[in-house]
Amino acid sequence: MTATIRSEIEAQFIQVAQEQGNRLAPLTDDLALLDSGLDSLCFAIIVARLEGLLGVDPFTLSDDVLFPVTFGDFVRLYENATK
Amino acid sequence: MRNVIVTGGSRGIGLGICRKLAAEGYRVIAIARTQNGQLAEAMREAEDRNPGSFQFVSFDLSAIDSIPDLVQTLHKGHGAIYGLVNNAGISFHGILSQMPTAQIEQLVRVNTTSPIVLTKYVVRTMMAGGGGRIVNIASIIASTGYSGLSVYGATKSSLTGFTRSLAREVGRMGITVNSVAPGFIDTDLTQSVQGEHRQKIEHRSALRRLAEIDDVANAVEFLLSERAKNITGTVLTVDAGNTA
Ligand SMILES: NC(=O)c1ccc[n+]([C@@H]2O[C@H](COP(=O)([O-])OP(=O)(O)OC[C@H]3O[C@@H](n4cnc5c(N)ncnc54)[C@H](OP(=O)(O)O)[C@@H]3O)[C@@H](O)[C@H]2O)c1
Repeated sequence: MTATIRSEIEAQFIQVAQEQGNRLAPLTDDLALLDSGLDSLCFAIIVARLEGLLGVDPFTLSDDVLFPVTFGDFVRLYENATK
Repeated sequence: MRNVIVTGGSRGIGLGICRKLAAEGYRVIAIARTQNGQLAEAMREAEDRNPGSFQFVSFDLSAIDSIPDLVQTLHKGHGAIYGLVNNAGISFHGILSQMPTAQIEQLVRVNTTSPIVLTKYVVRTMMAGGGGRIVNIASIIASTGYSGLSVYGATKSSLTGFTRSLAREVGRMGITVNSVAPGFIDTDLTQSVQGEHRQKIEHRSALRRLAEIDDVANAVEFLLSERAKNITGTVLTVDAGNTA
């Protein structure tokens, strides 16, 4: 289950970067999202699509979720939210 | 069928928009608090012509906290949402210095906060889907003055400002955002304006007549159509030249 969430997220990062014409950095756990090559709009699209795919949006579940710093944090946030 | 949500689709301008869109092949989902005879008749007509093309959902749009659930239900029930027409609106005529603060808050809630929050959740589904159309029904009062309508005017110009910046924000995803600004139109909302006063408005219009519900519906239908694919962030005035 955990592996599929990660691969789902990776696939979305790659697809949205392609659609929006952004160059995506290699997706390692310690990659800072600020350096990923995606901008805030890309993240908004990714979050909207993941909600459709995984059925959760960790950012609206609670008002005080801060946007994750690294790619690894991002994946963990979704893994925890779907538990 | 492409799904279009029309708020305030039970009467007046909103019902006219729903009729038009259903006839043009969209599936319209009208949202309002209550059903009425006119609405039932229009739904029956649409159903005869094109089954499923006119749906009604009862919802009080001032219940901001329930809007996320509403959008989720609509999305689940009908699939991708192509268009959103923020038409529901209320108006209280009154001198600002005498207007109860609760009334001011109610106006801002229904006319400004509610459409913005509804758009927030609908635009997310459009983002996921890769495109869409948003039309906000403003008013000529957004850009001209009218004594007794200062708060209403504030809410309507809030929508034109919202339109412009949101158009910039979501353009990259193939979503267009526009406003339609009607002049005086005969509906329940304007029932209190009669006789001499009405004639004055008519007389002040370049075309010496008033625009009608159908004119606004046509403008909305155009902005939703393929023909308007390169129009975004703008205001389309439908007022028979009242503000020309
Ligand atoms: N008429 C004009 O001259 C004119 C001019 C410029 C702009 N406009 C704008 O055009 C839009 C439509 O106006 P109209 O003249 O057609 O008004 P209307 O005849 O009074 O209809 C208003 C619609 O909004 C719905 N509505 C109101 N409050 C609601 C709420 N809390 N929750 C859900 N639905 C609600 C009503 O249904 P329920 O009451 O059943 O909820 C109804 O369907 C408004 O935004 C208005 O500001 C009108």
